[in-house]
Amino acid sequence: MTVPIISLERVSRVYDMGRVAVPALDDVSLGVQPGEFVAIVGPSGSGKSTMMNILGCLDRPTQGAYRLAGAAVAKLDDDGLARLRSRSIGFVFQSYNLLPRTTALENVAAPLLYQGVGRAERVRRARAALERLGLGDRVDHEPTELSGGQQQRVAVARALVTDPALILADEPTGNLDSHAGAEVISLLRELHGAGRTIVLITHDPDVASSADRQVHLLDGRIAA
Amino acid sequence: MSALELFRLALSRLRTSRLRAALTMLGVIIGVASVVALVGVGQGTTSNITTSLASLGTNLLTVSPTTQDSDGSTSLSRNDADAIGELASVAGVAPEASTSLTVHAGDESTDTTIVGTTAEYATVRAYDVWQGTFLTDVSVDHELRVAVLGASTAETLELDADDLGTEISIGGIPFTLIGILQPKGGASFQDPDDQVVVPIGTVQKYFVGGDSVRSIGISVEPTADMTATNAEITALLRDRHELAAADDPDFDIFDQTQLLDAASSISGTLTLLLGGIASISLVVGGIGIMNIMLVSVRERTREIGIRKAIGARGRDILAQFLVEALTLSLLGGLIGIAVGLGVSALIGQIAGWGFAFDPSTLVAAVLFSLLVGVVFGVWPARQAARLDPISALRYE
Repeated sequence: MTVPIISLERVSRVYDMGRVAVPALDDVSLGVQPGEFVAIVGPSGSGKSTMMNILGCLDRPTQGAYRLAGAAVAKLDDDGLARLRSRSIGFVFQSYNLLPRTTALENVAAPLLYQGVGRAERVRRARAALERLGLGDRVDHEPTELSGGQQQRVAVARALVTDPALILADEPTGNLDSHAGAEVISLLRELHGAGRTIVLITHDPDVASSADRQVHLLDGRIAA
Repeated sequence: MSALELFRLALSRLRTSRLRAALTMLGVIIGVASVVALVGVGQGTTSNITTSLASLGTNLLTVSPTTQDSDGSTSLSRNDADAIGELASVAGVAPEASTSLTVHAGDESTDTTIVGTTAEYATVRAYDVWQGTFLTDVSVDHELRVAVLGASTAETLELDADDLGTEISIGGIPFTLIGILQPKGGASFQDPDDQVVVPIGTVQKYFVGGDSVRSIGISVEPTADMTATNAEITALLRDRHELAAADDPDFDIFDQTQLLDAASSISGTLTLLLGGIASISLVVGGIGIMNIMLVSVRERTREIGIRKAIGARGRDILAQFLVEALTLSLLGGLIGIAVGLGVSALIGQIAGWGFAFDPSTLVAAVLFSLLVGVVFGVWPARQAARLDPISALRYE
């Protein structure tokens, strides 16, 4: 049996708001197998963001166990989480989150910097990732010189450059017009076709329908 | 991440905001430049004082009378000088009787000091002969009308080697020119090269009258102790002048080294004081860096969030911001050193003491600006490293 990429077992995340404890995720269990394309769908306030933070190793569960590609997240300290993010996760955000005043090439190469990859190798791999996404002629452009769709493709290239176990896309079409959004979705489908494991977090049922499997979140619980 | 990668990252960041980087560095530049310039000027002054005092003669004691009669005679005599010369710790004695007169040579004339002295004057006052000869014991003993000119005086009178042996007129009396002295230079209040040296007996016979002298220059044996010799001479002169134990002395002994020590200690203190004041501006420059780095951390919160999300650890962020502060302060320090050296060279040139350059000041300036970078860069960098990635990513 293969090791699941994601394994959430009875995970809860409770925010301590002074006197009241607010549960954002309540007893959630979820498994994602290698090569799956899963959409986590829910309206705002359903716990999507918390889910994204937990899955992305930006936050730890209050209760329950989370294993990412076999690694137990709960035992890791901040540095350990950073190393796990660096090695295993590629993020694609709604607002692209490219480094400002930094060229597309340097943006895509940045995750490799934190893996200790040498400069020449960083440039080579970043250039290859950009070319694969059809941005070969945009390597020296800064984010402000790129359209939204192009910025999001640079972000996808950055997510791919470390060859991570999981691509985590948080509302990747939210800031794009329908045409550019559709392009990003077809790009994700293409990556899925190439064997990538993708988790897509969205509030939009249309976007979610492009995934193979949909997980509905409501009030911090997985709805049937 | 290696130090080189961090430095490259910092440089590329500073390139994107050049004006801000330049303005931030300005405080450190001004601080380091003023420290370097002021210390340079201080050292220039010290070495200037030291060399000009050394040119007056080393191991020099000067005895001068404290009283003078209405006819110009003093309590000191040539016999006093001879007696001092007998002391074992004294290498040479030069009694001086001087006056101011007009000197004529051909069509040129000048007013200058006529110093009557002995052959040992050259050794005691550290003069070298450039052309001809100095006074000899024979010319002094026979009170000959011979004259040795200081370099400036010779130049004023347009005399050089060809004119040795010719006649010049001092106060209307003819003298034979036998020598010209090497110039000493030095920016003292009195030009040591503007004088005419003649045998002491000649001056006393023709110009000043009497047997008294204006001062006695004493060169102490290099092995002898200046203070002990000073005391020895004091005792000798008190005895010769028949002073009672309670009487005030009628002479004064001036020790060249005391002046030297006092001058260097004053200029050393001054250098320290000026350097101290200037280093306050360096601290102010450091606070400027801290201020900008704190603003920068706030502005770049989102960037920090992104970097953390893509795998940067807290210490990577800490190192990045710390190296940025260090780069600012170090660049500022290097520019400041260049500016400071330029300013002190310029001041040295204007004041005429050359360019004093002390590498230890520069090393200290670099280390101090690095220290400023660390001290004022750590806190903002820690703020950056501690940011929570989730809220940093959401920060607008």
